[in-house]
Amino acid sequence: MIKQHPLIILSPVKKDKLETLDKRLSVIRENLQQGTETEFKKVSTLHYGRWVILSRESFRDEPAVPVGTRLIFSTNFDGDKETHLTELVTVLTKYIDDIYECCEGYPEPGARTTESRKNYLKKYMVKTSAFFNGAPGRSVSQIHQEESLREYIWKYINTNKWDEKTTAVEIHKAIKKEIDLNPEFEWSKQKAEVQGIKWFKIISYGLLLLILIPIIIIWALYIFIFHELWNKKETLTLSQLDDKKVNELKKVEDLFPQNQFTQVAVLKPGLVRNINFRIWMLRTSVLANNVFVHGKLLNIPTIHFARWVLFDNNKHVLFFSNFDGNWQQYLGDFIDQSGWGLTGIFSNTMNFPKTKFMITGGAYDEEHFLAWSRSTQVPTQVWYCPYPHLSIKNINNNTKIRNELRMNLNEEQAKIFLKRF
Amino acid sequence: MTALELSEIQAYLIKDYKEMGSSKYYLMQVKDATAAKKFLASVADSITHANTPINETYLNIGVTSKGLMALGYNNEENLHTFSREFREGMVTPHRQRLLGDFDSSDPSKWQWGGPANERVDLILMVFGKNDTIAENYFQSLKQKFEPGFSVVHVLNGKPLPNDREHFGFRDGISQPVIKGSNIAPAGNNNDINPGEFVLGYKNEYNIYPDAPLLKVPQGNLELLADNPDRYEDKETGKTFKDIGRNGTYFVLRQLEQNVDGYWSFLKKQTIDEHGNTNNKEATKIAAKLIGRWPSGAPLIDYPDNDPGGNSDDNSFSYIKKDKDGEKCPFGSHIRRTNPRDHFEESPPGVSLKLTRRHRIMRRVRSYGEDFIGSVENHKPNGEVGLLFGCFNANISKQFEFIQYTWANSPKFKKLYDDPDPIIGVREKPGSGVNQVFTIPQKTVNKVIPDLQRFVTVKGGAYFFFPSVSVLKFLGTI
Repeated sequence: MIKQHPLIILSPVKKDKLETLDKRLSVIRENLQQGTETEFKKVSTLHYGRWVILSRESFRDEPAVPVGTRLIFSTNFDGDKETHLTELVTVLTKYIDDIYECCEGYPEPGARTTESRKNYLKKYMVKTSAFFNGAPGRSVSQIHQEESLREYIWKYINTNKWDEKTTAVEIHKAIKKEIDLNPEFEWSKQKAEVQGIKWFKIISYGLLLLILIPIIIIWALYIFIFHELWNKKETLTLSQLDDKKVNELKKVEDLFPQNQFTQVAVLKPGLVRNINFRIWMLRTSVLANNVFVHGKLLNIPTIHFARWVLFDNNKHVLFFSNFDGNWQQYLGDFIDQSGWGLTGIFSNTMNFPKTKFMITGGAYDEEHFLAWSRSTQVPTQVWYCPYPHLSIKNINNNTKIRNELRMNLNEEQAKIFLKRF
Repeated sequence: MTALELSEIQAYLIKDYKEMGSSKYYLMQVKDATAAKKFLASVADSITHANTPINETYLNIGVTSKGLMALGYNNEENLHTFSREFREGMVTPHRQRLLGDFDSSDPSKWQWGGPANERVDLILMVFGKNDTIAENYFQSLKQKFEPGFSVVHVLNGKPLPNDREHFGFRDGISQPVIKGSNIAPAGNNNDINPGEFVLGYKNEYNIYPDAPLLKVPQGNLELLADNPDRYEDKETGKTFKDIGRNGTYFVLRQLEQNVDGYWSFLKKQTIDEHGNTNNKEATKIAAKLIGRWPSGAPLIDYPDNDPGGNSDDNSFSYIKKDKDGEKCPFGSHIRRTNPRDHFEESPPGVSLKLTRRHRIMRRVRSYGEDFIGSVENHKPNGEVGLLFGCFNANISKQFEFIQYTWANSPKFKKLYDDPDPIIGVREKPGSGVNQVFTIPQKTVNKVIPDLQRFVTVKGGAYFFFPSVSVLKFLGTI
């Protein structure tokens, strides 16, 4: 099973090159939107990629440390980092050079080699604090392969006339035979490994939490009395947000069935909030790696990849997400499905709607939560996805089709298999 | 439970006026702001509110954001407290993508409300027992609103017999009931907190919906209430007056229906090897697309045959009776636009709660010939269609969410290429995109390929429906 990982690079932008950089990024964006961009898909290890210009203006709240203008480059990739970096700088050489010429410290034209380019990117690499993958183990090529298998079977089923008496088992067998005759699908004979829920880890984690209950209660009380009670009630609503900013965000939304979300927030000052944030990160990380392995993050069934990144001496946090559907639906899901999960995390950031014991208030204060989310969102200059027309549910369903195709199914199981199309 | 201030709320939100044979919507433009305001101040007392006794005529009024500005409510800070959707209006590049208004439905081709049409400031909705009564009432109003307003477009709507729409289906069976509105509870998860429909009350999140406030004083403040969240001016400490209270937002879209194309398409799906079509089967497919039979009977309870008559059956749910969609397909119009107890993959209790956050109060009328289509008879004379209207407190979370996330998105639930077959199909979906409708069956799913669009948007706008007092207030600015 090939594992997926996050990559994030934060490089300082040359002051006098910001405009050039912005222009170059918008050319790539335009080409992606028009469908005329052809380079990204040659990077075989690349799931999602984005470039975001992060400047002082991107921060809704006063940054905790002085910030210059930086370029964020983030990808979700298959396999090991070295291979991915090599692929990026060799396949996307022109993009990388054009873009990073506008950044501080990029090698001069004569000194650019695969190694020097990679070293540059590595120099500005930042660690991801928590990472979610909606289809663990599914490489880009596997996702494409399994979709082609699904399409082929779909056509096969729908171009054949099936007698009403034909059983699901018989149809399943006929499909299997058809696929076996087709050398194009030889790969599908090998079962796709799918990560299961790691029960042992989860139970241990649960037990640890049980033991820690008294401490957790004291901690929550402490946060409530000394922090939450003092937080001001948030009054900003969606209608009041800056039009220019919202329009800039909307300009690049709903162009595909999937969307991106980039957010930057400032942690509340003080050690307590900082530790608290990291505890929630740890919890999210443990859950994402061990429990949320079937395409749902905190019960939200539309996320392909998401991550949190602490940076600037752990004083600022970035949140990235690649999801199906649109903003209103996505944020609505956050409130409806996992308001508590998010409230815990983001209650440690500035001007988040007032919370109680880190689990109520906050995201459940829908109107102000949505306004907070929009106001901390940052426009994404370039966003690439190699499978914009596949939902995360489609991707996970396709793997099940592949695996169930090779199994001996009873009538009930075969019916379930056929319902997947 | 909070009682609603019914004498303040425009009654079309609470009552459907189905007994009115004639619904005339006059789209108007401000010609002289002073005269226009004078008219609003005087007409406010004639507005039909939810406590108005049954009458032969009814009158309701809504304004667009451009209309507010034309009237002189143009302080940037004040306008900015109205919802973004309302302020921007129905026509923006982003909203075009959300609503799917492309090709023949492109706003540039609209008959009203589009960029090529005259500006719409206000909608005067005149209802009468019949056309003559409505027309006479309008003439009497016209003497008062001229020269303040001129009429730029008129929409003549009416309910078709037995609440059918032109394709032939009984419509509007499932409607929410606003708690506290003096309407008998509907049960079955249809009784909704007022804040989903009326500003100034708590919604299904148990919070007050975003509502317009008077940040910079203007007009007669005594007509306005304080805002319930007690938002105040940071400098003076005074609470802002509430412009939204007892008001709501109204969505209006004129949808032309291609009845002949619709039934011909369905019949084509049933052609057998001898080239014959099968009317019974075509009607069954039609029912699968909608989720109810022409009579209104739900497929959940009547999966095989239309029991006939007129059904108001709205007591069904999905999980227990049809978790696999074999009776009512996942992609059908009613199952996606009101998922009841089967919202995404949430358990029934959670689903019901989440569904309540995305309801709309539909107010629809048909226009064109009095024609009810069927598999045997599907050639109306001239253009026919639906004046789709709906009230909601949050256009983005309610109307636009339903249209985009549930209807237009082919990825609804676990589907791959299935838009809503009635209102979500793209006319020109792009090369290589096949829009289909999947009908789950016992073994192999049946697929209706190459869906076509049979609904064309001809016009549309977002309106603010102020309370009676706020309408009066607008006359004093």
